Amino acid sequence: HITEDTSDLLQHVKFQSSNFENILTWDGRPESAPDTVYSVQYKTYGEEEWLEKEGCQRITQKSCNLTMETSNLTELYYARVTATDGAGRSATKMTNRFSSLQHTSIKPPDVTCIPKVRSIQMIVHPTYTPIRAQNGHQLTLENIFQDLLYHLKLRINHTYQMHLEGKQREFEFVGLTPDTEFLGTIMICIPNLFKESAPYRCRVKTLPDRTWT
Amino acid sequence: QEFQFGPCRVEGVVLQKLWQAFWAMKDIVQAQDNIMSVRLLRKEVLQNVSETESCHLIRALLRFYVNTVFKNYHDKAVEFGILKPFSTLANNFFVLVSKLQASQEKMFSTRKSARRRFLLFYQAFKQLDREAAVTKAFGEMDILLSWMEKFYQL
Amino acid sequence: DGVAVLPAPQNLSVQSTNMKHVLTWSPVTVPEEIVHYSVEYQGEYESLYTSHIWIPSIWCSPTQRPECDITEDITATVSYSLRVRATLGSLTSAWSTLKHRFNQNSTILTPPGMEITMDGFHLLIKLEDLGPHFEFFVSYWRREPGAKEHIKVVRPGVLPVYLETVEPGAAYCVKARTFVKAIGRHSAFSPTECVKVQGEALPL
Repeated sequence: HITEDTSDLLQHVKFQSSNFENILTWDGRPESAPDTVYSVQYKTYGEEEWLEKEGCQRITQKSCNLTMETSNLTELYYARVTATDGAGRSATKMTNRFSSLQHTSIKPPDVTCIPKVRSIQMIVHPTYTPIRAQNGHQLTLENIFQDLLYHLKLRINHTYQMHLEGKQREFEFVGLTPDTEFLGTIMICIPNLFKESAPYRCRVKTLPDRTWT
Repeated sequence: QEFQFGPCRVEGVVLQKLWQAFWAMKDIVQAQDNIMSVRLLRKEVLQNVSETESCHLIRALLRFYVNTVFKNYHDKAVEFGILKPFSTLANNFFVLVSKLQASQEKMFSTRKSARRRFLLFYQAFKQLDREAAVTKAFGEMDILLSWMEKFYQL
Repeated sequence: DGVAVLPAPQNLSVQSTNMKHVLTWSPVTVPEEIVHYSVEYQGEYESLYTSHIWIPSIWCSPTQRPECDITEDITATVSYSLRVRATLGSLTSAWSTLKHRFNQNSTILTPPGMEITMDGFHLLIKLEDLGPHFEFFVSYWRREPGAKEHIKVVRPGVLPVYLETVEPGAAYCVKARTFVKAIGRHSAFSPTECVKVQGEALPL
């Protein structure tokens, strides 16, 4: 009995996670027949059963949103995909052990930059995640990561920078020249896990000083 | 930065270095663990640990990892070519154990409940085949590091 | 195993400054031949639990130069054993082991290089980047009796960093030191640098 090699049906089964939005993705054969269908199961590490993901059974697209199924931060998970082509050939592949705390990447923060005459105020808005506390409240990144802090830089005409850093959400760069343009970059940093978001950038011009006019 | 497990304080171990070392070998190590329906460091072992209990528990766990898990996983580390990250974790765990040892005289009466938690872990370990148990415990170091992180003061 | 007719390297020693650790030894010379060296290490864990196992240095197994940057091999604040041997074709020397084990907490921490400049009424500092181990504590104050000393943690970088908005006609002084969390030690302070701000002092 010769077992047919079906590994080409399915590759790179893995989680892509950003701000705890956990998407399972995979690749099929480059020229895979349109009638190839995929079915997804997931499992909590330490538990017996594999569970079928509703809405991702016998689908044709190559991704599946498992955010809600993998939303317990103290748990680790596996997912697996079974591909079946028109000729009835099938292949199953599994992810590595997945921990959203370790794997999730952090998106840039949402910031409001407010120019004044001799200062620029920056207000960082909370980043909500799909994760809910036991009382049903949606958790923010700050709730989840105890060491989270914001790192802000203001570049001044390419010659030097001002730095501000902290856990609070309101910052102000002071002592600036009126009627001048500045480039601000704001990042979320989670030092313990080496996580750093891409920067949010705002180009802002301080207001003209009209006190003597 | 330091670890503060209740009364026990440990400096000189940088948590980020431990994470870096573990991530360098995570997928190789965890792929060897085929018993996905068993988790040694379960919720009953690590959840809701009081401050004073934490020093007992981490000391027992780290000592077990240094004396048993690392010791018996060493040959696999050579086989998988992960000796360097393995050495980073082993030596830093060794530092933690040595410094936690020194602060044991401040221990309080929560030793018994910490002991119970450790035994839950140890009994689950003993129920598995020796090699599978060592592989599983080694692969669960991220669970341990995540728990230790709660006691890491910036 | 090669017959050990090649002499073993001698005079092993480690120079460590600002958490950069270099192992050096006297070269083994064979006329018209290029001798290679291999470096291996053991942390305290290996010495106690798996003493038969040595770990090849990341950058020097092998190397042609009689020195080895072992900075990336030293990843814990424990004492390390280090050994070197020479190789020439199939000939291999005996291992030579460092007499005293090395611990990174013995590294020499030098005061950081710093550059103080002004841009208008902004006091700026530029610090040399010493690598990921280092935090920089900068102290600055206005040079006048009873002035308060401010302390800021500053990140090194390509561009100078803003410290303070200063007042015309006043003088300000700055000094800096490093801190390495892995070994829990500070460097000495850099020499204090003072700058005078142009312009007339503001009337009281």
